[in-house]
Amino acid sequence: MMTRGTADVVETSEAPAELGRLSRFPVRRVVQWVVGVGVLLLAAYGTYETIQLGRFSGAAWRDLLVFGVAQGAIYALIALGYTMVYGILNMINFAHGEVFMAGAFASYFVARTLQNSGFLQSNPVVSIAILMVVAMAGSVGVAVLLERVAYRRLRKAPRLVPLITAIGASLFLQNTAKGFFGPQTRGYPTPDVLGGTWTVLGIPILRTQVIVIVGAILAMVGLIMFVARTRTGKSMRAVAEDKEIASLMGIDVDRVVVTTFAIGGMLAGIAAVLFTMVFQVVGPFMGFIPGIKAFTAAVLGGIGSIAGAALGGLILGLLEAVGPSLFLTGLGVKGPNQLKDVIAFSILVLVLIFRPGGLLGSDEAEKV
Amino acid sequence: MSAGLTARRVARLGMLGGMGVIYLALVGMVQTFDGVRLVGDQVTLGRVLLILPPLSAAYVLARPRIVAGEAVKPDGRAALVGGAIIGVTGGALVGLSIVVANGLPERFAAQKIFTSVTPALISVVTFDRAIAPGIGMLVVLATVAGAAGAGLAVLGWKIRRPLITGLLVVLLLSMLQNVFRVMIGQLGLDTAWLYSVRLGGLTYIGAILTFAVPAGISAFWANEGITLRQRLSGATREGQRQVRLLAVAAVGLLLAVLPFLLGSFLSAVLGRVGLFLLMGLGLNIVVGYAGLLDLGYVAFFAVGAYAMGVLTAAANSGSSIHVGMGFFEAVPIVVLLAAVTGLLIGAPVLRLRGDYLAIVTLGFGEIARVLVTSDALKSFLGGAQGLIAIPAPSFTIGGLNVDFRDPQPFYYLVLVFCVLAGFVSYRLANSRIGRAWVAMREDEQVSEVMGVSTVRYKLLAFATGAAVGSVSGALFAVQIGSLAPTSFNILISIQALAIIILGGMGSIPGVVVGALVLVGIPGFLTEFETYQLLIYGAVLIGIMLYRPEGLIPNVRRTRELKEEDRLQDAWSKGAPDAEPATISWEEAPG
Amino acid sequence: MSAVLEVRGIAKLFGGLAALSGLDLHVEEGEIVSVIGPNGAGKTTLFNSITGLYAPDEGNILFEGRSIVGLKPSQITKLGISRTFQTVHLFSNMSVLENVMVGQHCRGRAGFVASVLRLPAQRREEQRIRERASHSLGFFGARLSGYRQDQPAFVLSYANRRRLEIARALATEPKLLLLDEPTAGMNPKETQELTDQIWRLRKELGLTVLLIEHDMRVVKGVSDRVVALDYGKKIAEGTYEDVAHNEQVVEAYLGKKAVG
Repeated sequence: MMTRGTADVVETSEAPAELGRLSRFPVRRVVQWVVGVGVLLLAAYGTYETIQLGRFSGAAWRDLLVFGVAQGAIYALIALGYTMVYGILNMINFAHGEVFMAGAFASYFVARTLQNSGFLQSNPVVSIAILMVVAMAGSVGVAVLLERVAYRRLRKAPRLVPLITAIGASLFLQNTAKGFFGPQTRGYPTPDVLGGTWTVLGIPILRTQVIVIVGAILAMVGLIMFVARTRTGKSMRAVAEDKEIASLMGIDVDRVVVTTFAIGGMLAGIAAVLFTMVFQVVGPFMGFIPGIKAFTAAVLGGIGSIAGAALGGLILGLLEAVGPSLFLTGLGVKGPNQLKDVIAFSILVLVLIFRPGGLLGSDEAEKV
Repeated sequence: MSAGLTARRVARLGMLGGMGVIYLALVGMVQTFDGVRLVGDQVTLGRVLLILPPLSAAYVLARPRIVAGEAVKPDGRAALVGGAIIGVTGGALVGLSIVVANGLPERFAAQKIFTSVTPALISVVTFDRAIAPGIGMLVVLATVAGAAGAGLAVLGWKIRRPLITGLLVVLLLSMLQNVFRVMIGQLGLDTAWLYSVRLGGLTYIGAILTFAVPAGISAFWANEGITLRQRLSGATREGQRQVRLLAVAAVGLLLAVLPFLLGSFLSAVLGRVGLFLLMGLGLNIVVGYAGLLDLGYVAFFAVGAYAMGVLTAAANSGSSIHVGMGFFEAVPIVVLLAAVTGLLIGAPVLRLRGDYLAIVTLGFGEIARVLVTSDALKSFLGGAQGLIAIPAPSFTIGGLNVDFRDPQPFYYLVLVFCVLAGFVSYRLANSRIGRAWVAMREDEQVSEVMGVSTVRYKLLAFATGAAVGSVSGALFAVQIGSLAPTSFNILISIQALAIIILGGMGSIPGVVVGALVLVGIPGFLTEFETYQLLIYGAVLIGIMLYRPEGLIPNVRRTRELKEEDRLQDAWSKGAPDAEPATISWEEAPG
Repeated sequence: MSAVLEVRGIAKLFGGLAALSGLDLHVEEGEIVSVIGPNGAGKTTLFNSITGLYAPDEGNILFEGRSIVGLKPSQITKLGISRTFQTVHLFSNMSVLENVMVGQHCRGRAGFVASVLRLPAQRREEQRIRERASHSLGFFGARLSGYRQDQPAFVLSYANRRRLEIARALATEPKLLLLDEPTAGMNPKETQELTDQIWRLRKELGLTVLLIEHDMRVVKGVSDRVVALDYGKKIAEGTYEDVAHNEQVVEAYLGKKAVG
């Protein structure tokens, strides 16, 4: 379609009434596949060349992989918030990254107080538990407020209306945080015990990364149990299936929606504490990029699917950590790590084009 | 109590009003805007912000409510009392927080969390008095504001409209004092009676006059305007045509002389408004006409800017490519390049549903940003250092050297392209192509079955929008003379989006107003710049919640956005014999 | 007589379910053919396959002797097949006239440059589009004319929406018109009126009509030939009398017991 489309735009004429054989040729699909296969081949070639170069040692690859898993675990936790809201309301809560940021800030002020009083260093486990609770409270508060103030009355509006609102909310929350707490990025105190490594299965792994991976797994298992076992979880699934029927069956849809936002917020709060442990910074704009990445993870795994969010997060984290060095170094690209985000967004674009339902989802996006 | 004057509602609105004030104070606006004197030495924009939330809350309270499909007006006196109570409650809440913030021990000082809570802020909110009398004054003012807000709502529109008109004119004239002072000065008139020389801001006499005159005109119009309007609509078609021509000529004349009235600095602001107006017009074709939400519009702006940069820059620009073309020769190439980019970006994503399309385009926008910054393309685009030495076109007439980098000539350059883009948009919207876009926006699949090639018209929208956006980028490159990759971030896309949302999707006058308000006001009033993005966010939320069709709506878009699940779906649900799996209908985005 | 439309052994699967399996159908020029069958028999799937919304998994569809499988819906419309929908799908925020003008779209040529510059050819074309759209609406007499032309489509009554859909389809200047349950939801008087109008479609406009209909009075009233489907297969074909008394058809509608 490409070349013909161009010509038509310029020549200002409709296609002739005689439709030749060419018009039936699925040009779009062919172009898609050529691009897709091309990208894969390029990545494979880059990988081959990189390994030939032998610039990175096995240990370096291993560290990158572990880092990717930890990063992916955080993406997965945030992605769950997107996926659950999307599953229930069919809307992209663009401001979810800011829900995450709110949790980080809430816990930051407590962490600073604990650090100043020495409690953080003397009781690291209790401190982290406190920080988790505070972060969850902060994130849940913002998430629920968002739902109540901005999204609730838009449930029946055309699809783009809540999306634009969510974009506005994202911008509003970022800049509110900037106004409240100042524009600068601040250092987040962490317990010193988290420095250094633990040896797991014979591999030395940074302690923070161990905690991130374990924490994320626990949170996700908890969520899966919650959705599968509890009454609220069952109502959530019912509402996701069909809001009208669910409300006819006596389910309080509003309450289920608020619960969904709250759970998304809790997971984002946990993610926020884990994130600050690894990166040790907070700032008003910290939520934006992780938010988009997490959304990518959710789409990659299949939006609406909890397992999909976990899988998508993991894959995205790994590809981002390993990808630039692995695919691009061999191609002779300068500064491959700068292109980390390009890899993430290219994955998003490719997934949406080839498999809009995601890896674990149905191809729902084609229908609906 | 059918009009909703319950104690609970009053208390809730009172608290909301108070929290509104606290929010504005914490986010830093109250203190920043305290520096903007509006009238005399007492009325600052910061102080207005202190009473605005209770005033609005009381207005909401006293507005007629729809009960069972009928508007019920609350009792006037009860509403006034309710408004006053809202003011007291709000003021008390703020006062309480002042006491708390002031009384906290050093270790838990609020300033450790909220950077804006400083002694300076406390003195602003207590009107430079001691805490107790200051709070007292705040509560009194809030109460008066509450009663006034309720009063405004209760009054008939024939009184309310002149009052609000007058207040808005005072606000506008005082906020944009820089602009009007210069303009009036350029006309050779004295401004001392209107604007205070010592303090800035309006003088009391100036304020009274600028309130009374517009309010009077508005009152006259409210009473006599009806007959005037009738006479106008009763006029012959020829007569109406003449009136319209006259209006166009007047606007044209104003646009032509504006830079001379404003001087160089303010013309530069207008130039920036023009750049965003151009982008808004382009995005309007994609979002407003074709209904495709593009969040990566910055990509086309970047293509335009970098293409212009690479094509025209001098040899030492930071790019290994040296073409050295002139601006006007480069423009067609830039436009063509952008249109092709639009097709390339558009082609793979056309089949995606509306919200997915938005996210994918966002991804493209981010890819564009990362690519221009990266070392990978550094030899062509200059990487993180960007490009320099981009010349501006210039010529000499009769010994007068006109350089388009100078604000005033630049303004005219931008103006020409804006008028051109507006003209193209208008003609397209009112043609067979525009109809195809509307049909596609309303129901993509049905329009395809009715013979509209949706692929072609989506691509056409993408390409046209890209071309217009790229011109904005190209002009930007010329204006700045150098390009830094940090200029091309997602905020540009969102800014352009906010402009068309505020004005009204699909409405050309709407885009103009959106650009003037969202780019013009922060440009003219530098205090706003810090809060520009905050305000954009609030605008996006507020408009979508309360007026999704925008300030100056396009009629049909209004219907679409208010549609909800009206009629057609109701019919199809009630229709007998629904065979399963009719067609996989996509939900129409519009 | 030559076959305008020829459907040869098409099959369409949804998941494991066959909506159509090996269906053959032909429509001669100037014929009015009705397709009947119980719910889920594959009638609308047949229409969707003919108009290009579905790509059939097997078989071929010929229009005026050439295959149209794999063409885009808009291309098929341009060749001369138009349709209405079972559940009305108008552009509900466009005016009545604009709805029909969209139907004229595929008969226009004006592109980007012509539209921006309002070249003389483009102006003539707009004028023509407007006239022909009005003309299409005029088919229904006063029902959709006059002040109604400028009303948004969503204010129309249900019967008028059905009529507007037909007018929009007529505006594409089709040779073959597919009507999907045109009288569904209409009262007896309106149904009778529409039955007469289907006759007029052939008599005055020379159209060939293929329609899906549940109301047997309509089927009896308009059809030259009736085709009955069940489970995606043709179970009977012939005059109304033949088909209505066919055992398999009665069985499909009423279930085995009623016959046995």
